[in-house]
Amino acid sequence: MQQTAKTLLVCLFIAALMGSVACSKKNPPPAALDTNAELQNADLGAGEFRSPADIDPALAAIFKNILFNYDEFSLTPQARAILDGIAGWLKNNPAKLVLIEGHCDERGTNEYNLALGDRRANSAKTYLTQLGIDGARIYTISYGEERPLDPGHSEAAWVKNRRGEFKIK
Amino acid sequence: MHMHPSQRRTSRTRARCAAALTAAVLTALSLASAASAKVYIDINAPSSMSVPIIIPPFQNTGSEPDPGKLAAGMAAVISADLEFSGLFRIIDPKLLNAELLRGVTSNEIKWDSLSVVGAEAVVTGVFAVSANRVSVELRLFDAVQGRFIMGKKYSGTLSEHRLICHRFANEIFKELTGAPGIFETGIVFVMQAGGNKELYYCDYDGGNPRRLTTFNSLSLSPSVSPDGARVAFTSYRDGNPDLYVMNLAGGRSEKICNKKGINISPDWSPDGRKIALTLSPKDGNSEIFTLDVQRRTLERITNHWATDVSPSWSPDGRSMAFVSSRSGSPQIFMQTLADRSERRVTFGRGSYNTSPSWSPRGDRIAYAGLIDGSFNIHTIAPDGSQYRQITAGQGNNEDPSWSPDGRYITFSSNRTGRKEIYIMRADGTGQKKITIGSGDKTDPAWAPLPGN
Repeated sequence: MQQTAKTLLVCLFIAALMGSVACSKKNPPPAALDTNAELQNADLGAGEFRSPADIDPALAAIFKNILFNYDEFSLTPQARAILDGIAGWLKNNPAKLVLIEGHCDERGTNEYNLALGDRRANSAKTYLTQLGIDGARIYTISYGEERPLDPGHSEAAWVKNRRGEFKIK
Repeated sequence: MHMHPSQRRTSRTRARCAAALTAAVLTALSLASAASAKVYIDINAPSSMSVPIIIPPFQNTGSEPDPGKLAAGMAAVISADLEFSGLFRIIDPKLLNAELLRGVTSNEIKWDSLSVVGAEAVVTGVFAVSANRVSVELRLFDAVQGRFIMGKKYSGTLSEHRLICHRFANEIFKELTGAPGIFETGIVFVMQAGGNKELYYCDYDGGNPRRLTTFNSLSLSPSVSPDGARVAFTSYRDGNPDLYVMNLAGGRSEKICNKKGINISPDWSPDGRKIALTLSPKDGNSEIFTLDVQRRTLERITNHWATDVSPSWSPDGRSMAFVSSRSGSPQIFMQTLADRSERRVTFGRGSYNTSPSWSPRGDRIAYAGLIDGSFNIHTIAPDGSQYRQITAGQGNNEDPSWSPDGRYITFSSNRTGRKEIYIMRADGTGQKKITIGSGDKTDPAWAPLPGN
């Protein structure tokens, strides 16, 4: 009997300890917030994304590049119109996945442009999801200024290079 | 201070024995130590004078011929090191007849001739080549008083002849200033080859360039750990821009962060335990995080709807400079890590200020700023005062990175029409291109001497 009481006490003590641990977990100090949980690992999935025009030349008319203003990631009316067409195609081809590449012109700093390209690709992704496309079908990647369409150093080249480009699989 | 001949013989015998024991590695043995620890040059005095020094071609005292301009080449390496430091003025040895420059020791040197050309210091060298090895004796003299200051004997492979010279230049720098030199440090940079970019590593002066990565991909933004052993960088090797760490010596690499979105712009913490980097956890909104290199845990540093990128730790590890577009255009901000308080550092000058690099001395932040259509390197105190433009009038100048002693800055510039790596003193003087050959070179990161 005495032994049982002792065991019970120990159990209660352990339970109390665990309770206090659980409590402290509920209120983590904000400064030490470990944000691993909110971050997903990168995964571009199996199989290679290809240029739509390489798959079917007719797709080039739908998957046109969307263009951005300097140091901006908001969608222009022209970009929205192109995305409307792409959303329509994705609805008619529900098995297809799309990769949106965000690109910048050569001006500015590489690292900042990598971040800007990421936002450009995500602007397009957000718009497509607003049009009803499942976000799980849309991948994004930023190339910053690393993959210019036009290697020139003029305004004409820069306009072409500040773009979102589409690949599908 | 003249050495007694018998004393010199003894040291030399001892040196030879020790050198034979460590023949496989580069060895340095004092021929004699300086009598006093006198500091000749006060490097912290703004008006410190440069010391006129002459370094005649070295003498080949061996039986084998000079295998390839070692006599002039080694003297040139030391001359270039000392001149770049800004604390020396190199006197051209061609001003004197070669006969007058043959002396190697105190007894032989023509002190009067050196005085005619204004030399206040002289370095003499003799070398001998045997098979694939070279042994070198180097001496530094006070030419005003005709006094021996110090000397070293080195032995290494022929390919180490530049390293021998850099090491003696460090000895001279330390002897005359009391501070360690940077002449054995290196620079990691990115070089373009076709559609790919790979990491390369060279001596601080561009010597001995060697390739670090063979990823056949885009590799970018290297940052070298404070112990000089590892480099963190971003690569698209597996498709996404992920973060990698590679050993500089062994070349082994490991992917250490591959979150969805960007894993870019790494910067090692001063204690080497963490890497600050940029991730885009939600909708491409980039934020600064720190990654514990051992535990692989992440901690969020910034939390703002604007673009935050390119962190740089303060040397005390308590603050971080970074780029943010929160005031419209990209500007330099800083956060005090203890209370997460943030404030803007760059105001008013230029609408596009990026790539902050916090000096190892803590007193300045270097950055690339766009003014009148060109990028140039600027420095500013962390409180936003004492703004200075460091480069001007020669193309675009970007990617500043400080030397470990905070006296020099490496950067990239397209002033020749191609992007190349340059070094300069922290005040912008002494700008020098250190890379050659085709392919754009960018993203230089000054690498501390391994083991420091």
